Parts: sequence; structure tokens; C-alpha cells
Amino acid sequence: MKVLIVEDEPKTADYLERGLREQGYVVDVARDGLDGKHMALEYEYDVIVLDVMLPGTDGFSVLHALRERRQTPVIMLTARDRVDDRVRGLREGADDYLVKPFSFLELVARLQALTRRSRGQEAMQLRIADLQIDLLARKAWRNGQRLDLTAKEFALLAALARRKGEILSKTTIAELVWDVNFDSDTNVVEVAVKRLRSKLDDPFKPTLLHTVRGMGYVLEVRDEQSEDA
Amino acid sequence: MKLSISKRLAAMFAVASFVMLAVLSVAMHGLLKRELERHQSNELQARWTMYKPIIMRNDDVEHWEYVRTKFDNSISENNRVSLWVQSNDSRFLYGSSLTDEQRHMIGTRGFGQAMLPGHDAPLKTYSAEVEARGERPAVLLTVGIDSKPFVETLRAFTVGLIALTVVGALGAAGLGYYIARVGMRPLDRLSGEARGLSPGHLSRRLQTDTLAPELSELADSFNGALSRLETAYQQLEAFNADVAHELRTPLGNLIGQTQVTLSRERSVTELKEALHSNLEDLERLRAIVNDMLFLARADRGERAPNRVEVSIAQEVSHAVEYLEFIFEEAGVKVRIEGDAQASIETSLFRRAVTNLLQNAVQHAPRGAEIVVFVLQQPGAIRVSVQNTGSGIAREHLSRLFDRFYRVDSSRSGSRENHGLGLAIVRAVATMHGGTVFAESESGATTIGFTVAA
Repeated sequence: MKVLIVEDEPKTADYLERGLREQGYVVDVARDGLDGKHMALEYEYDVIVLDVMLPGTDGFSVLHALRERRQTPVIMLTARDRVDDRVRGLREGADDYLVKPFSFLELVARLQALTRRSRGQEAMQLRIADLQIDLLARKAWRNGQRLDLTAKEFALLAALARRKGEILSKTTIAELVWDVNFDSDTNVVEVAVKRLRSKLDDPFKPTLLHTVRGMGYVLEVRDEQSEDA
Repeated sequence: MKLSISKRLAAMFAVASFVMLAVLSVAMHGLLKRELERHQSNELQARWTMYKPIIMRNDDVEHWEYVRTKFDNSISENNRVSLWVQSNDSRFLYGSSLTDEQRHMIGTRGFGQAMLPGHDAPLKTYSAEVEARGERPAVLLTVGIDSKPFVETLRAFTVGLIALTVVGALGAAGLGYYIARVGMRPLDRLSGEARGLSPGHLSRRLQTDTLAPELSELADSFNGALSRLETAYQQLEAFNADVAHELRTPLGNLIGQTQVTLSRERSVTELKEALHSNLEDLERLRAIVNDMLFLARADRGERAPNRVEVSIAQEVSHAVEYLEFIFEEAGVKVRIEGDAQASIETSLFRRAVTNLLQNAVQHAPRGAEIVVFVLQQPGAIRVSVQNTGSGIAREHLSRLFDRFYRVDSSRSGSRENHGLGLAIVRAVATMHGGTVFAESESGATTIGFTVAA
């Protein structure tokens, strides 16, 4: 998976590059609008992360030039929380946008959503260690034992299982499970995870649902030693 | 080029008085001319009546010589007067010979006039027939007087009027300028006062009690604008102070924690722990900044852009569903009453309702019931969340929706609640053309907002 990052802020560009590389992406970085435009037009990318405020030529004109020739998915980064910027970005062909400050996990989730769109049908049966999930029948088993989950608990489990090994932020989980796309003061996700845990992990070994402090939750098999507090 | 108001007023005064004086002058000129003409006519008729008996009394050729002498004397006594007697009989004639044109101009009856050589003003005449008597046939007696004195009087008068008009207009301009300057003095004072206003003295206002009514209205509006500015300025200052205060705690934690961690060698686990802790504080900072940006959007007067017509009760039930686990944990029940259709931006609306419900559940005792009322009112839809509980003191009610305002100040350290929830409700209401309200009576607290229908 190849990503182009067009971002002039050096610290931002650096951590995005490192972070995405570690997520398994092949990453190119352009430090201004002209380079960005050139690279976006000349090379093949699966997705482009494009900052709006750029020296040389701004993000909109890069997007405009790109859309005249290519349909590469684009995520716009905007520091200004202005509706005009977002509306304009989406109207001119951006596929998604993030408002700075954004969380890295959020960006990863959006990137995956964008690239997944083109990947087609996904499996209806998921398996993680002894956990078995039937997405169609909306049922789950551990160690051959049926788990008695409510609809929301199942939705939460399915969301985590679909992205096995990925850390999902609370915001992403709220969006996937409750279709809620705003920050709120509530600890709904924590309560939901606690409930799911009591049915999924408490009676069984090994533990599958892990908390990553400050970031979110991940469903995966881990060595018990490297377990986070 | 822009003229000062005083100069403009002076010019207007000048034009106005010029026009008035000119009209007056034309009228007076006309009147005088008519009077002079009437006077001339009277004189002519009087003279004719005076000369007629001389002709009447002398009816033969011998006596006609006497008439001539009498007329000659009369003319030499008063050189303004001219006399003619015309008749078919050449024996009974008098006066200088007349050209055909002059004869025509004089006419045979009534008033006429003719130019005579050597005169600059026309000769005014009156002619009438003296009936035949004895030897003398009927003759035409014409009396003429020189109009020169009348014309000169009229000319002098005209010159006088023109001079009066011009001088009057100029005088009015000068006087008008002076009056305007005097009249403008309060304005000068006002502008001097306004110049003295500065951001350092936000509460200063223009003095209105000594001003004329016209100006005090202006000064009042100006003071009104100043008040609004002062409020906005104070809000901004309070806002900055709030933000600084709210960001200071997590920033302090971040710096301190990082310094402590780096001050000696740490194990990977310890470093990880520090980073995780930092991340929590940073996430909190991000949430605050994002919410502040959202509030700023509403403050700028932005309206909800992506509205759709939906059932309000259904949107409320979405929010209730989202918080379902929280309600179960807290042991409270939620009921929705009423419904209405409205055009809203659903994510903003759900966010507001979620915040209201979240607020209610924090204050509701175990086993209580939270009721969400959706009420269709004229021009607006009212959404209110009612919970039983300890109630909120009156002094807090009006400030509930302020940023970072917390009824229970000990709660300020709470991780989950950074004090912007109800401020966001107000922002959402504003973005939908609505308002917020809060009531607390006998243990039941109702907090809600309206959206324009």
C-alpha cells in the first residue's frame, strides 16, 4: 500500500511518515505544494494525505490538478475548522478530511476505510485464536461455547475483530458501533468494553481484548508478559 | 473634494436666500413697472383733459393762432410734453410732422408710443377726438410725454434690486457659516470625546445629558455599540483566561512528567507508562481544542449547514441508544415524550441531546427516571431533559451554559468532563436559530434548548 504525504510542517510530516511506515505502508513525503502536485501526478499511489495550508501552491490547487487526471483517494488535513474549507475540499473531489489536531489512529482508520472500499467483499466468518464470529448470523463462540451478546456488544466485537491487531480509538469505535461522529464527554465505549470483556475474556484464556492507554482498544492474541497495564 | 458641513450649510443658505431675494425682486420690479405705467397713463389723460378746452373754446381760423401760441407756451414751459393736432383741414393742425410709422404707432384712439429723434426713451402718447364746432372740423388731439424719467427710475430700481439680491445671498452665506459653526460645536466636543476612548477604558461612555436631542440619539446608539463591544471584549478576555487555565493543568502535567521521566535511566515499561500518561493528557488537550474551535464557529454566527427534515423524537432515541449502557450502569430509565418534525443537522443535534442526557444522568439518583420532552411551539421546537435529583441553585442556572462553568467546583479535575458540554448545547441551539433554558424546581431540573421550526 503506497501513500503520499503532502505536508510542510516538518514534525507532522516526520511522525506521519514513521507511523505509517510502521503500519506497513510505503510512504513518500512532499514538503510543499509544487512537489506534492508533481509527485501526485507522476507516480502511482493508493491514497494521498494532503494538507490544505501549503507553501508554493495550496492543497486545493493540488487537489484540483490531481482530479483533472486521476481518481487517487485523497484525505485533506485542515488546520482551520472552517466549514468552507471542508465543503470546498469535498466538493473539489477530496474523499475525506481531518481537522487538526487529529489523532494518528483516526488517520489510520480513515486511510484503511478509503483503501478498503476498493478491496471488495470481506469474509463473513472471522477467527481469532479460539474466538469464532459469524458476521451474517451475528453470533460468536469461544472455545466452542456460544457467547450471549447484546446487539451493541456484538457490533463492538465485530468492529474490533474486522480490524484484528489494529488499535481502534474510542471515537472510531463510537462511529462504527453507534454511528456517532462527534466527540462527547461520555464513557460509553469504556462501559461497553467492560461489558464485552466480562463475557468474552473473563471466563476464557487467553485475553483477547486489550486496552492501549490513551489510544483505544485492540483485539489480538498477545504474549501475557508484554501485556499492558 | 468633500466640503465641511458648515461650508455646505453656508452654500445652501446662500442659494436659498438668492432664490428668495430673486423672486421677490422680480415681483417688486413687475409691481413698480405697472405702477409707473398707471401713473403715466393718468398723467397723459389729465393733460389731454387740460388741453382739450383750449381747442373747444376756439372754433375758427383766427382763433386757431391763439391755440398754437398757447400750445407753444405750454411746451416751452414743460419740455417733457409734446402735442399734436391732426385733422383733414390743413388750417387746423399743430405739432411737428410725423412719419407714417410714427403715426401708426400713436394710433387714433387711446394710448400709444413712438420713438422721436433725439430721445433715448420712447414717447408715451394719448389720443382722442375733439368734436367739430363752428368752422373747425373734428380734430385728433394727441398728448405725448417723454418716458425717460420713468425708464430711469425703473432702471435704477432694477440695479438696486440685483445688488440687494447678490449682497443678501453673500450675507446669508457668511451668516449661515457662522451659525453652522456655532451649531456644530457640540459635535466637535463629541468627536473629541470619542477620540479619547481607548481599549484601556472600556467602560467609558460619551456624555449624553448635555447634548441636543438630535445628537444624544446618535451618542446613545454609539454608546450602545460600545456596550456591545465591551461585552464581546470581556467575553473574549474571559474566554482566553478560561482556555489558558484549562490548558495549563494538562500542559503542566505533561512537562513535569516528561522531565521527571527523562531525569534518569528508565526501563522500557516505565517509559511506555510515561508516554501513555502523556497521551491521555494530550488527548484531553485535543478534545478541548476541538470543542473550543466548534464553539468559535457558533460564536462567529455560523449556521448548521447540512440540515435535513427529520423526526426529533427519533433523533433523541438515537442519542438515548448511544448512552444506553451509561443509563443501565447508573440505574436510571429514560422516556421520550412527544414528537415534532424539524430541519436540523442530525450529528449536531444528537451531540446536544447526548450532552444534555449525560448531564442529567450525572445528577440523577439511582432508580430515577429521565424524561425527554419534545414540544412543538409556534416557530420553534423545544427539547428538554428533565431529571429528579438534588436540583440546582438559582444562582447557577443562568451560568450553566457558560464555558467551563461547573456547579460543583470539586468536579473540575474530572477526566470525563471538561466543562464544555452545555456550552456546546448552546452553540448547537444557536446554530439552529434557537436558545437554551434551565429551570430547577422542587427537586426536578429541566434543561433544554430550542431549534427554529
